[in-house]
Amino acid sequence: MEKFIDPCCEKCFNSKEKPCDQFVECCLEGPLCHESEPCKKAREAIVDKYSHSSAFREH
Amino acid sequence: MYERHILICAGTGCISSGALDIQNVLIDELKKHGLEDKVRIIMSGCHGFCEKGPIFIVYPEDVFYCEVKAEDVPEIVEEYLVKGNMVERLLYKDPVSEETVISHDKIMFYSKQKRLALRNCGVIDPENIDEYIIRGGYIGLKKALQMEPMEVVNEVKSSGLRGRGGAGFPTGMKWQFGNSSPGVKKYVVCNADEGDPGAFMDRSILEGDPHAVLEGMLIAGQAINSDEGYIYVRSEYPLAIKRLRTAIGQAEKYGILGENILGFGFNFKIKIKEGAGAFVCGEETALLSSIEGKRGVPRHRPPFPAVKGLWGKPTIINNVETLANVPIIMRSGAEEFASVGTEGSKGTKVFALTGKVNNTGLVEVPMGISIREVVFDIGGGIRYGKKFKAAQIGGPSGGCIPDEHLDLPIDFDSLTAAGAMMGSGGLVVVDEDTCMVDMARYFLNFTKKESCGQCIPCRLGTTQMYNILEDITEGRGKPEDIDLLEELATAVKKGSMCGLGQTAPNPILTTLRYFRDEYEAHVIEKRCPALVCKALLKYSIDPEKCIGCQRCIKACPVDAISGEKKEPHIIDQDICTRCAACFEACPKKVLAVQVVSEGLPEMKELAVSKEGK
Repeated sequence: MEKFIDPCCEKCFNSKEKPCDQFVECCLEGPLCHESEPCKKAREAIVDKYSHSSAFREH
Repeated sequence: MYERHILICAGTGCISSGALDIQNVLIDELKKHGLEDKVRIIMSGCHGFCEKGPIFIVYPEDVFYCEVKAEDVPEIVEEYLVKGNMVERLLYKDPVSEETVISHDKIMFYSKQKRLALRNCGVIDPENIDEYIIRGGYIGLKKALQMEPMEVVNEVKSSGLRGRGGAGFPTGMKWQFGNSSPGVKKYVVCNADEGDPGAFMDRSILEGDPHAVLEGMLIAGQAINSDEGYIYVRSEYPLAIKRLRTAIGQAEKYGILGENILGFGFNFKIKIKEGAGAFVCGEETALLSSIEGKRGVPRHRPPFPAVKGLWGKPTIINNVETLANVPIIMRSGAEEFASVGTEGSKGTKVFALTGKVNNTGLVEVPMGISIREVVFDIGGGIRYGKKFKAAQIGGPSGGCIPDEHLDLPIDFDSLTAAGAMMGSGGLVVVDEDTCMVDMARYFLNFTKKESCGQCIPCRLGTTQMYNILEDITEGRGKPEDIDLLEELATAVKKGSMCGLGQTAPNPILTTLRYFRDEYEAHVIEKRCPALVCKALLKYSIDPEKCIGCQRCIKACPVDAISGEKKEPHIIDQDICTRCAACFEACPKKVLAVQVVSEGLPEMKELAVSKEGK
């Protein structure tokens, strides 16, 4: 999972044909439709990669 | 996981000053030191402090290097990134205290600002949608999609947001008109036709945070039941257009633009229309004509665009900065947004601060801040210790505010009461060396040329006003011209069809209101107190000071100066074109050339040495 749009695993169903209405929240807090530590970490890794300071997420 | 992040400002200004060269050298240097996997380079949008660009910030420490050149990069990498030694010479030095400041948030230019519309500019990579999402992006859209359209309208109404493009019309009310207008097809238009000379607020937002504008448009679409939007942006903004196109492509890929957005059954597409650069196309009905492929001239209102706009369909038109504020309102709530600002003007305003201040650039301040704070705290005061004379707020359609109103709060109503206007956000500071009559002439020249010519008051009125101002600044002014100018300005303001003509006289009316004595000096005494208007100046050489070095003779392009070596020189006033070449050429230690504005014989001669000037 390099980008938020990439599915974290086969359980992610978000697609143009079947868009997930929780997609935006899922990027930061997900996964929301299933429980998985690796899937959670994959999202956190994207956030950490881009967060250049502690204030970055304090929007 | 990176150890460090380096943000290089990649706004148009810093790119012009070599930001891309800095990036290339940095890539090479990081490789050379084996740091390419430890340090991430982010080419961000505008940081605002254009005076000090290119800007180079190292995180997480927040070390602010400024005026960086490509040749400085090896030193930054070697000394700071590798050895941990600060590169002192590239740090910011406060112009008043002369103290070195390391972190950008400790710099006065930034510390008094409140960045809402510019929240992501200079913070994220504008070409990376993931960074926008991490910063809370598209949460506001999600909330809007969960609400009924009128609930969205009411939220924006409650926030007190007023249009940032000029007139300050309440955004929520405009959306309400759009919502209640009958019709299946409606449009949302983003007015990105930023035309004021020196203004670059909208360009910076588009370049630095394009998704914020897209999100604002999507929320507007939900509010008025529209499925299509246009961004009208001038073609002179190629970087903004490129980043907008990238952002639109990403949003479509992410299911945030297009069909069935985020699974809510809401459809919305956004198209970009490049404008040719006519100032009048910033007027909303002219803009609509231009999108339709017609000549960009205003239409009569009513009907207003919210009722009959693009291709005859209900259309709401919002400025870039206005739309960039909308996601914050939806995400954080109207109440929080309304907690910033004054009773009648909520939130913040972005200004392009330019002119005779030490710190020029893009600033975002809470509504209600005083002009003094903007000029002296954020702007760092007047250059070379000169005296503040006035602030021209609102660009060529705005008005000037003199020093006695320095404590005037910056909000829509206070500025209007003072004869100026918020406008789109141009803020030009002028000092004692600026002639206010000449400044009014300068702005009139702009609006005269940009008048579309459709209505008589504007077409002929701006030309006549300009001609009178030209007469006054060239020494042909008559005493009755002042009253005539005032009468004409009032008539053009009242009689013009669109905002261009209605506001074009503002620079005249405010300079007449606050600096009438300068007009009188020009027409009655035939002198320019600020020593600007060439026709009213005379250059002369003080024979007591002249050392006969002949530098002025060599510099004079029209051979108006004569004199033997080591003998005092003389300027032939009949030949002199008042180009000031002699004034510039005279050695600083000598200062024999003087510029004077004599006025009538009985007037005391006003002479200023080179030092004084």
